[in-house]
Amino acid sequence: MNIIVCIKQVPDSTQVKVDPKTGTLIRAGVPSILNPYDHYALEKALAIKAKTGAKVTVLSMGPNQAVAVLRLALALGADEGVLLADRAFAGSDTWATSYALATAIKKIGQYDLILCGQMAIDGDTAQTGPGIAYHLGIPQITFCDSVDSDGQHAVVKKLIEGGHQIMQAELPVLITMTMPVDYVAKYPSFLAAHRAQDKQISIWTAAQVGADTHKVGLEGSPTRVSRIFPPPARAKGEMISGSAEEMAAKFVEILKKESFVK
Amino acid sequence: MAKNDLTTRNLMLDSLKQYAKNRISHEFIREHDAKNEIPLDILKEMYDHDVLGVHLLLIPEEYGGLGGQTTEIYRVCEQLARIDLGIATGVFATFLGSDPINVGGTPEQKAKWFQKIAHENKLVAYGATEADAGSDLVSLRTRADRVEKDGKIVGYKITGSKMWISNGGVADIYTVLALAPGGPSWFIVEKGTPGFTQDAHEDKHGIRLSNTAGLAFDEVYVPAENLIGLEEGKGFLQAQAVFGYTRLMVAAFGLGGGEEAVETALIYAQQRIQAGGPLAQKQGFMLKLITPHYVRFEAARAYIDWTAKQLEVNNHGLATEGAIAKLYATESGNKAAEDAIQAMGGFGYTKEFAVEKIKRDVKITCIYEGTSEVLEMTIFRGRWQEHLKTRGQYYIKQAEEFEAIHAQHPDVGADSVALGFRALARVLEDCRAQKLTRHQYITFMLGDLISEAEVAAVFARECAEGRVTEGSRFDLNTLKIMSRVNARLSAFKIATEGMKLILGVGAASAQDLSAGVNLVGIEEKMTGLIEDEDLVSAKLREIFKA
Repeated sequence: MNIIVCIKQVPDSTQVKVDPKTGTLIRAGVPSILNPYDHYALEKALAIKAKTGAKVTVLSMGPNQAVAVLRLALALGADEGVLLADRAFAGSDTWATSYALATAIKKIGQYDLILCGQMAIDGDTAQTGPGIAYHLGIPQITFCDSVDSDGQHAVVKKLIEGGHQIMQAELPVLITMTMPVDYVAKYPSFLAAHRAQDKQISIWTAAQVGADTHKVGLEGSPTRVSRIFPPPARAKGEMISGSAEEMAAKFVEILKKESFVK
Repeated sequence: MAKNDLTTRNLMLDSLKQYAKNRISHEFIREHDAKNEIPLDILKEMYDHDVLGVHLLLIPEEYGGLGGQTTEIYRVCEQLARIDLGIATGVFATFLGSDPINVGGTPEQKAKWFQKIAHENKLVAYGATEADAGSDLVSLRTRADRVEKDGKIVGYKITGSKMWISNGGVADIYTVLALAPGGPSWFIVEKGTPGFTQDAHEDKHGIRLSNTAGLAFDEVYVPAENLIGLEEGKGFLQAQAVFGYTRLMVAAFGLGGGEEAVETALIYAQQRIQAGGPLAQKQGFMLKLITPHYVRFEAARAYIDWTAKQLEVNNHGLATEGAIAKLYATESGNKAAEDAIQAMGGFGYTKEFAVEKIKRDVKITCIYEGTSEVLEMTIFRGRWQEHLKTRGQYYIKQAEEFEAIHAQHPDVGADSVALGFRALARVLEDCRAQKLTRHQYITFMLGDLISEAEVAAVFARECAEGRVTEGSRFDLNTLKIMSRVNARLSAFKIATEGMKLILGVGAASAQDLSAGVNLVGIEEKMTGLIEDEDLVSAKLREIFKA
């Protein structure tokens, strides 16, 4: 069985601030991390590997320094890494990115299960995974927080309003993973980090994966971002205290004052 | 397997940071600090191969370790210090305790003991210090008497005591320095050996999460195979061979502790509103309590990293450079932690925030592995020899090198570095001509001035060569500004302190001396200093957001 996990290097959003004047992210000095949803998807792939002996390949697109997240994935137990790195890819939106990743997956060739994080925390679009499935012409199930496979089928728990939907799919299938709120990402031991140096990371260009350069980069990206801005700060809430009767009375008073009730 | 590359080093550091984030909260540290208790479970877990296996870094690859290079070991030390200096000391004691085996052990001894340390996750302690033998190991009293059988040495009986031994009460394996008939020698003593006892854990000012205890040896028998190197009298050489290296690790402790304290204060200051705005926006606050420390941290980082890279080529030695790194980084870290309390005012003085504990912790870095004063003396002696050997040209030559660097790279402060070197050469020469080094105080202070000059030089050269020190959070342009600030202040300190020393013993005219060290030239370079410091402050506010 062959599993491909698509991963992305992102700025640690807990440390990123938006410049209120320009609306852009201030990235100076912000460390890069593996997108947490992808981290979770990778751990799920490795759990399937432990059970079935599947081969896990991690795939990323980005500048050369994105090798760092591939190395992390290899240290955690993935078998091989592929980085799509080419100036031609710069400026790709989710449509162009999913096309590029799909061409790389075709070059990898063998795949039964493709796992993606639900979305990257630097863009929050949740479009790349579904885009890959479209370009490959395979089915997809999105927003799953659990996935299992016996090598023939994939069984997932898809998060839906008010609960889970348990689904089974024939392989190949692409699954996008969300993560439980209490998820704590695993990190490798020093020994595993050291040994990951011996695992293969291939760096491929657009030409090597046979990507049509008109379909990637800015030219291949139909998305136009008109403006990015932080939401306006909300006024501070007011806490009501006292006995239940007192609080109810105060609450009604406020509702009247704000003309919600007469 | 290949040596660890930069990506691997960063991966290890990320794992260590994440581990600390998940397992070692401020509350956890605070509780153990109050109870004066080592978190042994945490240390054991950090040694667990599947969790971190941090101790594997110091064990050569052929014995099942990672064969860590100096660079990754110092970076791990810096990160450990940012987590907690007590825990860092516990880990470091294993590094230090293993060093005599690493340096002097036979292949069989290395195989036996390193396998134990690597695979059984044993804690190690380094037993050198005694009541009358601290930095001055010559007064060593612990004895190792030969035990002979049929005319052959079969073992040794060790008698004496050690004090202030890190991991003293909790280690499984001890490397102990004792006086054998052939001279000082290292022995390996295991916990539980009859006659070997450990004293109660000390009640210390700081690093209270590290166990410190005395050791007592009452005719403790160890087999001859536990004599490291199987040869008596090599103990001092084996101890001194690693000073450059071990002091570099403590330098990283000073850097890490200081950084953690000031970063805490800076992030607090971004949110603390006083007189209409955040403290971090106020120039006086930044230039007095925050910005100068970051300048010194980056200078220290550049110097530590440069020395580490030299050690990787030379393997051992560099005792003077190790001493410079430790003196500069630990004194800077200690002052920074002090100011971090001041920057946070009343909050800084409470145990609610980490800076109060860091201040208590980081002080030890100015004491263990050679006090600042011993280091000043070591640095002085090392470079005084160079000054005499070259007939006063040692620093003149370096001044010329930096004048050339300034011609190519006018934005890194190399001109001030050159002026500092020339002032230093003049001060040293006056001290020689008038035999002023008979004053011990002057030798200490010269050691300090030498470290100022040499750290400023390495920082400026790294910037001129376009290198951003690994682990730094700043871009090259900001580092260049920092280097300009640092070089100017260091040249000024060398000139004015140097003058004070010479005039203080009444041996020169102030006017001649002032011209001799080119005080006016140094002062003229101050133009733009505050502007540069303000630029650094702005960058700090950008990077260390609340």
